[in-house]
Amino acid sequence: MKATRLWSAAILFALTAGPLGAQDLAAYEKKTTVRKLDNGLTVIIQERHEAPVFSYTTVVNTGSAQEVPGITGLAHMFEHMAFKGSRHIGTTNYAEEKIALQKVEETYSAYDTERRRPVGRDDAKVQQLEKAWHDAIAAADKYVVPNEFSKIVDAAGGTGLNAGTRSDTTEYMFNLPSNKFELWAFLESERFYDPVFREFYKERDVVQEERRMRTESNPIGRLILQFLGTSFIAHPYGRPTIGWSSDLQSFSATDAMNFFKKYYVPANTVIAIVGDVNPTEAMPVIEKYFGRLPKTPLPEPLRTVEPPQNAERQVILHETSQPVYIEGYHRPAATDPDNPVYDTIEMLMSNGRTSRLYRSLVRDQKIAAEAGGFNGFPGDKYPNLFVVYGFTTPGHAATDLMAPIQTQIDRLKTQDVSPEELQSVKTRVKAGLLRGLDSNAGMARQLAETQTLYGDWRELFREVDRINAVTPTDIRRVANKVFDVNNRTVGYVDTAKTPAGGAK
Amino acid sequence: MKMITNQAEARGLLVAAMIFACTLPLTAQVTSVNEIRTPPLRKLNMPQPKRVQLDNGMVILMMEDHELPLIRGGASIHGGGRDLPAGKAGLTEILGSAWRTGGTESKTGDQLDDFLEARAARVETGADDDSSSVRLDVLKDDFDTVFPIFLDILRNPAFRQDKIDLAKTQLNAGIARRNDDPEEILGRELNRLGYGPTSPYAAQPEYATVASVTRDDLVAFHKRFVHPNNIVFAIGGDFDSAAMERKLRDAFAPWPRGPQAPAAPTAMTAPKPGVYFIAKGDVTQANIGFVHPGIQRNNPDYYAVRVMNEIFGGGSFSGRLMNDLRTRRGLTYGVEGSLGANWDYPGLFEITMATKSGTTLESISALRSEVSGLRTQPFTAGELQQAKQSILNRFVFLMDSRQKVLNQAAILEFYGFPADYFRNYPANIEKVTAADVARVANKYVNPDQVAVLVVGNEKDFEKPLSSLGTVTPIDITIPELTAPAGNNAEGTALIQKVREFMGGKAKLDAVHSVREVTSATRQTPQGPMDMDVESLTLFPDRRRAVMKMPMGEVTMVMTPEASFMVLPGMGVRDVPPSQRDAARADERHDLLTILKSPDKYTFAVTGTEKIGNVDAKVLEVSTEGDTVTLYVDPSSGKVLRKVGRGGQVTDFTSWATFGGITVPTAFTMSVNGQPAGSGKVTTVEINPAIDPKVWQKPPS
Repeated sequence: MKATRLWSAAILFALTAGPLGAQDLAAYEKKTTVRKLDNGLTVIIQERHEAPVFSYTTVVNTGSAQEVPGITGLAHMFEHMAFKGSRHIGTTNYAEEKIALQKVEETYSAYDTERRRPVGRDDAKVQQLEKAWHDAIAAADKYVVPNEFSKIVDAAGGTGLNAGTRSDTTEYMFNLPSNKFELWAFLESERFYDPVFREFYKERDVVQEERRMRTESNPIGRLILQFLGTSFIAHPYGRPTIGWSSDLQSFSATDAMNFFKKYYVPANTVIAIVGDVNPTEAMPVIEKYFGRLPKTPLPEPLRTVEPPQNAERQVILHETSQPVYIEGYHRPAATDPDNPVYDTIEMLMSNGRTSRLYRSLVRDQKIAAEAGGFNGFPGDKYPNLFVVYGFTTPGHAATDLMAPIQTQIDRLKTQDVSPEELQSVKTRVKAGLLRGLDSNAGMARQLAETQTLYGDWRELFREVDRINAVTPTDIRRVANKVFDVNNRTVGYVDTAKTPAGGAK
Repeated sequence: MKMITNQAEARGLLVAAMIFACTLPLTAQVTSVNEIRTPPLRKLNMPQPKRVQLDNGMVILMMEDHELPLIRGGASIHGGGRDLPAGKAGLTEILGSAWRTGGTESKTGDQLDDFLEARAARVETGADDDSSSVRLDVLKDDFDTVFPIFLDILRNPAFRQDKIDLAKTQLNAGIARRNDDPEEILGRELNRLGYGPTSPYAAQPEYATVASVTRDDLVAFHKRFVHPNNIVFAIGGDFDSAAMERKLRDAFAPWPRGPQAPAAPTAMTAPKPGVYFIAKGDVTQANIGFVHPGIQRNNPDYYAVRVMNEIFGGGSFSGRLMNDLRTRRGLTYGVEGSLGANWDYPGLFEITMATKSGTTLESISALRSEVSGLRTQPFTAGELQQAKQSILNRFVFLMDSRQKVLNQAAILEFYGFPADYFRNYPANIEKVTAADVARVANKYVNPDQVAVLVVGNEKDFEKPLSSLGTVTPIDITIPELTAPAGNNAEGTALIQKVREFMGGKAKLDAVHSVREVTSATRQTPQGPMDMDVESLTLFPDRRRAVMKMPMGEVTMVMTPEASFMVLPGMGVRDVPPSQRDAARADERHDLLTILKSPDKYTFAVTGTEKIGNVDAKVLEVSTEGDTVTLYVDPSSGKVLRKVGRGGQVTDFTSWATFGGITVPTAFTMSVNGQPAGSGKVTTVEINPAIDPKVWQKPPS
């Protein structure tokens, strides 16, 4: 269950951004059925009968950007709970378990209130309340059938069972043999119809381990945490999706249920299914199971918009790990009309061995082992960052990359891209879409994400046409708008000397 | 009942019936998965690729796939890093990159980049432990322009120096960064521990080994391995097989055969059981690993092992490890474990997990219980059924596209497995019983043989690691590239002293040959093994050793003309290249060899270290890019210790004089602080008569 888009994953995703053009759209429209259920849930089925299998992605249009201080990390925590079952899955006796779980919440609330009392805390009482809470957990655990949800998926032949939480969305996915379609509809709808938050506090420990692994014990994790916190001072993009430790040690299953009820609304959810599925047969099954989800109002859109930066910011980590450099520039949301121009700039800067950052920093100057740039960090639903990064070669400090990166940025601003270079990029964007079409799982994800972001899956194909229309003038115009020093945040690891005694 | 009058109507009725069948139960609320009807799975109708074997030995697999206008394929080539000397670690990485970026005779790599990327085409090379590859991925309409580039790269790479240098820079960047992430450290060091320091599967690039790789090495690799009889070429996509076959025959048939790549080396040294520790300060978790040797894929027990692995560490969360350590105890985000089985060499039994520093020992103890549980916790009928269903129902995903079917066929072909291997796979899994699983768990998993590796910040552990017994620290400091030491005055003076101790220049010059008989004991994974070794050296470069071992007598001969072995029951064999290079390195590091030709070496004293109660001088002796370290008593010139290839330490414990030459007569050996063997020299004969026939390779 990935908490954040890892760097490499983000890069990979950025590289596979583009599909075919509109001329191919017609063919794909024929294979694609879209249905909006009465409760507002959008379902997309794309037929591909190569083999008796299918893949799906559920995208809930809610991520860590919907959190507020005190409950950071909760969107991701709910994602973990969506594997814990329902009243029908994961229990030996739900009626009794429900009472036991209520007791867990009551005892936790009492304990949490006392232990966080700023003045006049009674430590003996804290201990006593903690014990009562642990006892309540032990009593509730007696009803648990551990991992029943995933055991059913596994035994049915499921692969790729996973989920991910990002700033923008929370996504759930796996693949099954196509004779298990109804089983899938039951399982997936149970998660959102009737989730039961059993084993919540143990799973909270698991999430804290995930935080230690991704953010605390990894230098890139540490850098990104600081970098995003510095880049965004108002918008929730500045907060880590994994959450702050204090919140992870404190929030409750009740908090998670409140978050679920507010944001896991059918009208806020898209499911895309790709594979050996016949929509005529499948839609009634979907109606039957997903039609159960109650129609509830859409949550209010996020109000806060990141203000213009107007000052360069820097964050420096003094560590013993090797140098890493990153700089980010605020850019508008993916729905901005200039989005295709940003995509083109990304391709020019980082796609392949002909890309500008590879040729200048890696091949010619040999100061970076790897360098690139990409859009949509940490998300793209809201105004976000265009990021340029580099990993130095031995003997170079992170700051050695600043001027060479600036040279490449200045080139974008001052010189027209050649027709050959631009055409090469456009060809690769088209081929990228084509190559993505042979993966059920990949397509399901792209369809669901595009539908969520733009309200129409066909934008996946149309974006390719828009990139095809980008001109050298567009690139210079956008580069001059976005790559401004006062719009920039720089972050890097400044490598300290290894202390005596070897690796630290 | 209405009569069905025509086909269209019949179809309409069928569809209606189907919808009805679906809608009927819609009113009833499903409350359990058992209520859901699962129809049988539609049969998977995937064709098998067409197989063609050319006269030159190349195997071609072709699979038409007209879904998308793409053609994808590649050549898999036998021979890789495991067939190279450890001193060249990093060669495969450099090769994998510079093979493509270095271009061909007619085009630079940069020109190819421009040409290919403008067509969204890819031609890429790679090299690994056991193989190398050249692949292409191209839009159908560009195949005829891109395929010649593929061929040119495959057969006529130019390995331009600038791209070799670039690949080295990037590899060095990887070396510099390899200790930044604790998970990476654990994975790497667990593998090294599992295979043992001298196994080719544990070779690790260092700045020095990267520096030693030359363009000639890449050319030699290409010349040694890239021959049609070492290649499986698989191609799939939007083409007509007959036309494609013609193109491929035209391209590949005239290519002459070359030497065959050697069989997979299986050399490994099981780790000494115990606890090993790597200190890392900037982390809040401990990364924990368990390791001991595993099995090979062709083992008939593989299917039972596969089921055991599914029960132990398989499933998304349902395996024992995830269930117990994550779900029930909240100790970790991820824990993985399996008894590994590689296609053509032994895998490792490995478990890895990460937990907060304060629960490190608790987690080690929990993992130990899981390992013993494989022998003591009966495999229940429920576990067996869950595991087998998961494997069997998931099977369709192994071949749910033509590209995957092609790739599977290519793997089987490459490793010499029968083409129907996957067809029989479900039946073989089906047959596995709980008794089989228990049997293989007892046979291949041994809790007493596990080496435990911990990477972390010990001051935050709940208890010191030493509470588990002796802890062996592993130093992962990255060796800096020292400029070739060259001579220093102290070094040349000290080697003089050594030469005097061993007999002086005149006497040493008069030595032409030596015969020695040694009675030795070697530590092996199966326990100590005794052997008598009779060795014969004719300086400067002829050496013959006859090893009398419990399984028979092995003779190994190394001369400039040949290097061969005579093995019990197996006749005459060439010494495998990795072993040959190792033996040549040992030869270069032999004391008499060094002292008879000191001008071929450089000598530098780099420090002082206590050996026993002597302040020994550390003397670096270098030649041909490698170094042996001697620890010398400066007052007498006696060599106390030698540290050579793979960190092998030899301590010389007694010396005696024969015909004016003083040589060591007893020694002990160790690797990584673990005893590796010992020996006593019983006979030394200077300048014995030698029958020249002993150097000749007998007919096989």
